[in-house]
This record gives sequence, C-alpha cells and structure tokens, in this order.
Amino acid sequence: MKHFTHQSSFFTIKALYTLLFGVAVLLFFGLAYPHHLHYQEQYQLFLFDSAYLWDIVKQPGGVADMLGRFCTQFFLFAWVGALMIAVLLMLVQLLVLRLANYGWLYGLSFVPSFLLWLFLLDENALMGGVWAVLLTLLAINVCLLMPKGWGRRIAILIIIPILYWMVGPALSGSHYHRYPTVTPSLLYATWLSAIILPLLVRVCHKWVSASRPLISHLLPLLLLIVMGTFVWKNANFKAEKVMQYDFMARYQQWNRILETINAEKPNNQIGVTVQNLALGMRGLLVDHLFEYRQNGIAGLLPDVQRDATSPLPTAEAFYQLGMINMAQRTVFEAQESILDFQKSGRCYKRLAQTNLINGNYEVARKYLLALKKTLFYSEWADETLQLLGNEEAIAQHPEYGRLRQLSYTEDYYFGDSVTPEMLETLFFNHTENRLAYEYLVAYYMLTGDRDSYEKLLLQLQEK
Amino acid sequence: MKQVLYILITLLLFVSCEEKVCDAKQETAQPQIYPDYVGVTVPVNIAPLNFCMVDETALLVDAVITDSHGHNLHSQGEESVDFDLDDWHSLLAQNCGDSLLVTVSAKFADGWHTYSPFSIYVSPDSIDYGICYRLIEPGYEVWSKMGIYERDLSSFDERALIENTQFEGCVNCHSFNRGNSADMSLHIRGPHGATLLRQNGGPITAYNTKTDLTLGFCVYPYWHPSGRYIAYSTNSTSQVFHSADSNRIEVFDTASDLQVYDVENNELLLSPLLKQDSIYETYPVFSADGRSLYFCAATALPEGSHELDSIRYNLCRIDFDPATGHFGNRIDTIIHAEAMQKSVSFPRPSYDGRFLCYTLSDYGQFSIWHHEADLYLLDLATGQSRPMTEANSDDTESFHNWSTNSRWLVLSSRRDDGLFTRPYFCHVDEKGAVTKAFMLPQRNPRRFYRDRFFSFNVPDFIIGPTDFDGRKVSRIINDEFRENFRVRQS
Repeated sequence: MKHFTHQSSFFTIKALYTLLFGVAVLLFFGLAYPHHLHYQEQYQLFLFDSAYLWDIVKQPGGVADMLGRFCTQFFLFAWVGALMIAVLLMLVQLLVLRLANYGWLYGLSFVPSFLLWLFLLDENALMGGVWAVLLTLLAINVCLLMPKGWGRRIAILIIIPILYWMVGPALSGSHYHRYPTVTPSLLYATWLSAIILPLLVRVCHKWVSASRPLISHLLPLLLLIVMGTFVWKNANFKAEKVMQYDFMARYQQWNRILETINAEKPNNQIGVTVQNLALGMRGLLVDHLFEYRQNGIAGLLPDVQRDATSPLPTAEAFYQLGMINMAQRTVFEAQESILDFQKSGRCYKRLAQTNLINGNYEVARKYLLALKKTLFYSEWADETLQLLGNEEAIAQHPEYGRLRQLSYTEDYYFGDSVTPEMLETLFFNHTENRLAYEYLVAYYMLTGDRDSYEKLLLQLQEK
Repeated sequence: MKQVLYILITLLLFVSCEEKVCDAKQETAQPQIYPDYVGVTVPVNIAPLNFCMVDETALLVDAVITDSHGHNLHSQGEESVDFDLDDWHSLLAQNCGDSLLVTVSAKFADGWHTYSPFSIYVSPDSIDYGICYRLIEPGYEVWSKMGIYERDLSSFDERALIENTQFEGCVNCHSFNRGNSADMSLHIRGPHGATLLRQNGGPITAYNTKTDLTLGFCVYPYWHPSGRYIAYSTNSTSQVFHSADSNRIEVFDTASDLQVYDVENNELLLSPLLKQDSIYETYPVFSADGRSLYFCAATALPEGSHELDSIRYNLCRIDFDPATGHFGNRIDTIIHAEAMQKSVSFPRPSYDGRFLCYTLSDYGQFSIWHHEADLYLLDLATGQSRPMTEANSDDTESFHNWSTNSRWLVLSSRRDDGLFTRPYFCHVDEKGAVTKAFMLPQRNPRRFYRDRFFSFNVPDFIIGPTDFDGRKVSRIINDEFRENFRVRQS
C-alpha cells in the first residue's frame, strides 16, 4: 500500500514537472519571445485548399511540414502559438518518457524537449521539425505497443515507409529550417537524444531502477534550471527587439512605438526606420529628429535590400507616404526573397492593397481570393473584395481613398534608392501630405542640405 | 458484405448524380464563358476546352457539344465542365475540318438558362505535341521558385524539366531547334551560371559564353535550321520602375550586340556590323532558309540619357552564309518602326518562310511590361505588315512562336488580369488569315489560373516530350566545369 502511495505521488509529481515545463515554455514564448512567433507567421501562408495541401503532403516529410505550417498560422496570436509549442514539447517529453523506465534518471526524459526548445530559438527553425520528432516518437511508441515477435516486426516494416513519407529523410531535403543549406543540428541532436537516452536507460536498467527518491525528484528540477538557463542565455533578445519594431510597424501601432523608443532608443536599422516612421506619422519627426539615434538617410528610407525582412518596415513607410508603386515593389521583392519559397499573408495583404489603390482590381482580386482560403485573413479579404471596382467606396475609404489621393500623378523612374527629388515631387503633388513634408525636411536635415531646405521654405511661402 | 454493396451503390449514385436541364429560360445571347472559347478555331489534337461561366453565381454549368453527324458530348459541373478526354479527342477526330456546336446551360438561383449555341471550328492542321515554358512570378528583380516546364497540349499533363530547387540560381531562355529538343540551349544564372547546350541529341555541356571580345553572357538564343549555328545577343540590361504609370517596369539595354555561335567549331562568329556602339542590336532570329538573320536595332541613347521612351527598335536583316559562317556587308531595315513612333520586339519567322510575326509597342524591347504591345504579321512575300487584330487584346501580347507546320502561333498575353502572362493559340492560314486566340486549356480553368501565381514565360512549341534528365542536368550545373566559347572575327 505504501509502495502504491509512493508510486502514485511520484506519478503526480511527474505530471507536475511536465506541467511546469509546459508553463515555462508557454511563458517564455508568450512573454519573452512573442515577436519571434509573429515573425514566423509572416513568412508563410497556410491555405485551406486541396491543391496547396497536396503539394506539401506529396513530398517526403510533407505531413510533418503540413502540420508545422498549420500550427504556424496560429502564431499570428503569440499566446496561442506559445500554447501550441508548449503542448507539443510536453507531448514529446511524455512520449520519450514512455520509451523506458527511467527510474531515478526520470529527468532525462526532458532532454529532447529542451533541445527542441533550443532549436525553436532560431527564428528560421520551422515547426515541421518539431512535428517530425513528435511523429517519429509516436511511431516508435506504436511499435513498442505491439506484442513482441512477428507482429511487431511486420508493424515496423509497415511503419518505416509511412514514417519516411510523414517526416522525410532524416538528414536532408526536409522542411525543418527556412535556409535550405542549413543543417538543423539541434534537431538531429533531439532525434538522437530521444532514441539514445531511452536505449541507454534500458541497457542500464538495473542501475537506474534502484530507489533514489531524492535524486529522482531533484534531477528534473536541476535539469529544468540548468537547461532553462541555457535556453535563456541562447535566446536572441536583440532579434526579438528588432522583430517587435517590425511587428509594431506592421500593425501601425504608432503610439506604442513612441513609448518603446522613449524607453530605449533603437540602435538597429529596422528600429530606426520604424522610429522615424512613427515620429513622422505623429508629426514629430522634424522637431525631434536628432533627439533619437539616426543612421543618416539609411535610417529614414533605406535602400531596398534583397532579403525578406529588412525591406518590410521600409515598405510600410513607402505605403504611408503614398509611394504606392515603391511599396508594392518592395513588398513583392521581400516576399520573393523568402528562402523556402513560401508566401506571406502580410505581403499578400499589402499587394492586394497596393493593387486596389492603383486600380488593378483583377490582380488585387487574385491576392484576395488566395487570402480567402486562410483562417485569419479571410474576413479581411471578404470585406476588401467588396471594394474592388467600387470607386466611390474606395474614394471614401479612410486609408485607400487618402493614399490614392496622395500617390504620384507624375511618372518618373525609380530604383533601389530614394532621392530628395522623389520626396519633393510627392510633397508638391499634395502639399497636405504631412508625412511627405516630414520626410523631405528630415532628408535635408540628415544630409545637411540647408540650401534645399531654404528653397522649400521659400516655395511654401510663395504658395 | 451487404453493407459494402450499399456503400458502393450510394457512391456510384453520388458520382453519377447529374441534374437534368429543365424549364430553362432561353437566352438570345451567347454564353459568357471563361476562358472565352466562343467561335474559336482549334487543332484536332488539342486538350478538351473545359470552361466555367464568367458569372460566378452559377450553381451548375452544363454543355452539350454536337456535330453534323449526330454525335454529341455532354458534361456538367458545379464550377467547370470537364469533358472526357477520350470522347473529346474522338469527337474532334470525327469532325476535322468541320464545326462543332456548343450549347451551354447554366443554373442560377432562379433556375436554368440556356444560351444561344456557339461554334468551335476544328482545323485539320494539327498542333505540335506540346509547349515548353518557364514559370515565374511576374516580379521585379528577385525571384522565388521557378523552373522550366513542358505541357502536353492534347492532355492536361505538365512536367517540370528543371526547377531552381535543384541548384542556386535562375534558369531562362530555353530554346530548341524548331521544337526539337535534340538541339537545345538553356541559360542558368547566378553562382552556377552557364549556358547548357546540346546538339543533335548528344550530351548536355555547360559553357561559359562570356568572352573578352563580347559584352557579356550570350542571351536570347535562336537555332539555325541546320542545327549548326545559334544566334545570340549579348545585352547590358537594366531595370527601373514607374512611379505612376500603368506599366510597372522598364527593362532596357544600355548596350547590346549580336553574334552567331558555331556549335561544331565552338566559335562565336562576330561582325562589326552587328556590334556597333551607336546601335542596340537584339533578338536575332534566322530566316526559314537560314540565309538571313533578322534582328531588332535601335539608335543607342547618348550616355547619361534616361529618355527610355525614345528608344525605338526597327526590324532589320543581314545576309548570313551557313556554309562559311560569313555575314553580309549590308543591313536592311525591313520595318522602320521608329518612323511610326513604335518599336519592334521578338521577330519570329514562320518555318515555311511565308510570314514573320513580331510585337509592336510604343518604345523599348521588353514588351511584356507594355500594356499597349500587340502582335503584327509581316507577309514576307509582299512586305506588307498588319496588326493581328483577331488575336490581339486590349492588354499585352508579347513573346510568340510558330508551330513546326507554321499554321499555329503560341502567344503570351496578359489579357486575363493585366499582370499574369498566359499562353494563347491562334491559327494562321497560308493566306495570313488569323483566328481568334484561345487560352491554354485546363481541367478546371478558373481554379487553375486563379490559384497559379506564375506567369508562363517564353512559351514555345516542342514536337515531343523533352529528353531532359533534371537530376543529371542539376549535377552538371552544380559542377564547376565550364567550357569556354572561342571567338572568330570576320
């Protein structure tokens, strides 16, 4: 009876440890790393469409990839994403736990989950990798449930090709990391640990089954602390900050940006671009420009780079200024730069908007109809579809109507860099474009072009 | 057992469940269908022309095709009709040189509507096996997934020849000798840049086409009918973007020359007439007899000038002697487009030597980004040129080429939505009569073209499935070895 009570209490403590681990993961991603989740979400577009799903699932590793992408769409809401990661990592731990009787080494069952947590600190690590580990563990557990003998052997023979289809080849070609050339070594370490640790425990069965209640309780706690510290130390909070600026620009949280820059002045390119945009949107850029860190004109409207991240805040500035074609081009190039060839809900949305403003309704419709097949963009797509071709509704729309009015009427050629002439044309096209004025004067201030500034003042006086 | 039988019967009933068109309101107008196949002329071996109603509120669409012999073919679907492939081909084969009558009914919320029938003419001129094209998003400078694909025109089968998932870089300018992949040229751009060449069905070799005496890498290939030569241009190309114009992008050359590559001797043949600094020469093509080289030529912009809308290309011609590889000593202007304030691009002579089809736009040479670009047909016997109004649209028509029997033209058009390029086909008879262009058929055309965010780039005919092992070729691309082009000056 005493033994039973002891077993039962240990079981409860095990459950508590698993729960504690899950809560730690949830709090980490929800509080400390939420923008990494937003970042992940914006580089994929999960469609509820049979052709899209078939294209993924038909590849080796496609099932894990599809499940990963399915989960990632929820990362639009960081807490939901954090909860999903927490549940998946808890499941991995529980499945590893089922593979052997760990005895007092019970804490080792957390190692693969911790390695996965470390893996997910990388913003380019994909959830398909987590699912690949989980599905592999599920398959091993199913095999072990089969009675020993021919039944189990046949089950293994059936499961191996199915597993290959679901999780793909272990060492190459699968969708575990956004950079196709990167070897996700942490993921492979997870796999290895999930297999080797239970094997090791089974081999050392007699040694580990000895009753050491104190160690069996302390070891998981120790592991939680050590590995938790390791996770914290390896987390990229600098990147998290950059992603936060990008996120705030995406959702046009100008006041929140001002609060953030006042608390801590950004010192990275994206942060400075977003800072200046928020200042401009609130009409504070000219008056307060040099109270904040600047990076020359590269911090105002940086040259368009060939990557998926840095152009997006710049594109937001172009869009808000009314440089619609520049915004469109920048967003398009950013989306095309996504390394694993995926599409982006954020980019599709903006491409639909720029095409709508430009009156290219059929192209806008194409993007909107794709967004209609998503979980979280479909409502917006439905509303926007109603606007297509409805000139009156667009003219009255607070955003599209205004931007259509502000955008260029005079054609010129542009490339990767913004010139003062482009801002001058934009401003004199509609002198009520306050943001264009702020950016133009800021441009003069950052380049020290006093003559042009005085000329601008004269022109304004004449008007 | 009984249960299984019931399930099977239920499934069978479900599958064969078609609604009978009844109490239909007779419409006097012909149906508005997507793609617009009303009154088109098709080759006898084309895939089924499945279509949808333009009005997407249609709940069901029903089509009955009848011929003058009493045969008929029926299809009904929720979104699109989907004709049985074998029945379709057999109906077309029975009506070669004759017309088919298509009666379309559509069910809306208020019931069935039956439209005035339209005809489809089945031309006895067959079309080549398929087309080969590049699929790429119509973007600016960065590319995502892309590849070279081929499509069987008598079915809906598409196959990737090579995709950029197999190597780092971009692939473009696929070119075959009159649709025969035994002679092929293909460019790879990026860190593994090369031109892949195969002659006479031999092995594929990777070449470095850049030489000290030419501007850069060879582009825009066109095979000589003998298979011994390939005409290339070398172009210093740039891009800029419009701030407020219906055309998004301007792709232009700041320098360009022409040369012919002698495949047998691995030599580039140069002529001072074709590499003048004051002239931009581009898009070289051999005449059907191989004794002339047609190309586009424009007066070069003065250095520092950005008046891109003043660059206008004429259609020119120079003699070429296939026996010696020597060029003539005079350039003839065949179409003086500059005088019309227009610009010629993509000249493509028909293989029977009768016509030359070209694109005419307001300026420049990259007409795919010009909404005003249209196709024109030059009668090489009379020298008369006319717009191909029957095949053109209000939007862009750009790259095109002839089928090997010179009776069909595949053309790129952006008429569908103004951005994404789709392949269309039209018939050109021996007198130069052109028919209405029809879009590349798909099993469910609306779903296919709506869901696909790619442009069909450089669609060109192929006479059979391309002999191309993508894995082997990607190994050649990823290998560092490149054979250098040599140069012979005339």
